[in-house]
Amino acid sequence: MLEATGLMVFYENMLALNNISIKCEKNQIVGVFGANSAGKSTLMYTLSGIMQDIRKKEKMAGGERITIHGDIFFNGKSITDTRPSRIARMGVILCPERRRIFKESTVLENLKIGGYLASRSQAKETMEYVFKIFPALKELKKRTGGFLSGGEQQMLAIGRALMAQPKILLLDEPLLGLSPLMQLTLVKATKEIRDDMGLTIIVTEQYARPVIPIVDYAFILENGAAVLEGTREELMNNPDVRAAYFGV
Amino acid sequence: MEKRRKERIDRGIMVRSDSIYALMSWRELAYLAAPRMLLIIGMLLLPLVPESWNWQGTVTLVCVYAMLAISFDFLAHYIGLVSLGGAFFVGVGGYLAGILNTTYGIPPLYTIPVAALGGGVICTLLLLPCLALRGVYFAIVTLMYPLLLVRLIEALDILGGTDGLLGIDGFSNPWVEQYLVIIMVLLFLFGIRRMVNMDIGLVFRGVKDNDQAVRASGINIFYYKGLAIFIASSLGCLAGACIIYIFMWAGISLFVLDYSILPIAATVIGGAGTLVGPVLGCLILIPISELLRDFGTLRIVFYSLILVGFIVFKSEGIMVWAQRKYHQIERWTKI
Repeated sequence: MLEATGLMVFYENMLALNNISIKCEKNQIVGVFGANSAGKSTLMYTLSGIMQDIRKKEKMAGGERITIHGDIFFNGKSITDTRPSRIARMGVILCPERRRIFKESTVLENLKIGGYLASRSQAKETMEYVFKIFPALKELKKRTGGFLSGGEQQMLAIGRALMAQPKILLLDEPLLGLSPLMQLTLVKATKEIRDDMGLTIIVTEQYARPVIPIVDYAFILENGAAVLEGTREELMNNPDVRAAYFGV
Repeated sequence: MEKRRKERIDRGIMVRSDSIYALMSWRELAYLAAPRMLLIIGMLLLPLVPESWNWQGTVTLVCVYAMLAISFDFLAHYIGLVSLGGAFFVGVGGYLAGILNTTYGIPPLYTIPVAALGGGVICTLLLLPCLALRGVYFAIVTLMYPLLLVRLIEALDILGGTDGLLGIDGFSNPWVEQYLVIIMVLLFLFGIRRMVNMDIGLVFRGVKDNDQAVRASGINIFYYKGLAIFIASSLGCLAGACIIYIFMWAGISLFVLDYSILPIAATVIGGAGTLVGPVLGCLILIPISELLRDFGTLRIVFYSLILVGFIVFKSEGIMVWAQRKYHQIERWTKI
């Protein structure tokens, strides 16, 4: 469904993504695991087109600094040079790292902004669904985004991404800085979302253990290169991976 | 399609001259010194153009605006306080020097430093209550003070009212006037550049980046912000004190908005955060604005077009661009 071939991203002379090819099929949950600076966020930004925007801003601030190479296909159509807003319209929605919720707006307003692309009935339906899988948010409808706890903010961020009617959802480190219990809730919710809405989900994480039970296929990044890939079982049985990413 | 990317490499000479070894070869010494000498010698040569060009007044004006621009750049890009207070500083410094000169008859040589330091103290005290504000709030407060002071002088008819202070001395001759302001600009430019690279500059930049983290390190940011405002406003007041001796008059037009806005425009053109950039920006902008006087009302149109053009096509600023080209090689390489 979403396919990237030979993706290369340079930050000045630093190679952030080195010839990465990833592929995810419809209705799968694909995991991307790697340590800090492995290139997870760069990959997410590139897939969602935000990297083009970053490149433009960097260029304004002083010269050509970021180079993007390779091809990205969505449903067989190239979206390599498509503007990020167009990509979002096509159904590739990014839920960014560190949540980036609108801190001054209430929970309800945050969700409504997310629903900009949806029709009125779709928005209403999705909002009900968001409140169903995240009942905690329903209680906090009127609360300002900045006053939510980390876990609630993450729920809101995922909810906001869902409001944009994604066909494929990119979750960038959704478990960042959350308690094990909250991690479990979110992982469960992710699976539920996939099953209920028939979405394709790409999720990145540093530590694979909490996410691996729901993942169908996974890639492991190291220093910007995809060093290993495989189905859940394949990775679980690989002793190196077990030691490095599952802490077994 | 051939895959290419722009590669960016520091010049070898830049890397070498980064350390003490720079002192071992003339080439590297020249690499370090040439841009600085170019600026210093260029500035010192400015007053020497033929008198028929009618350039003398512009030189002093450029220098006065350059001081204001340095003060703005320092506050905005090293402390994170966006100040629209150019007019405020000029007005306070100008009136202070004017009063000292007319009422007590103190010669310019003494009133200029006294007005700079005293004006700095006054401005800092007036701005202390809004040190907790950041961004647009601080800008608005600094924008309001000159308006307030103008109306105060007008309504109460103090300090000469709308006529202003008359009978202020001038400089003994135009050479003294021009070289005085040029040397002061160079002195403050290199002084502040030195300061922002010392430990205190580190704290200043920290305050700009994340004041909570600086506070968490046990540093009293209130003190440092106050100090920065004192430095910047002293520089502004110095410019104001020079202005009244150039015009031999101090009036409410010292509070005119030009003194707030033009330095900002110069900073944008020259390259924000470089300190040299604003001076270059003034060297470009002020002569252009003087030349365009012939066009009458169309002057503002051309002037705005130039500004917009710069912001759209060279938003990084001249100095940022020049530094990049000087220190780095850019070339296309195959991936």
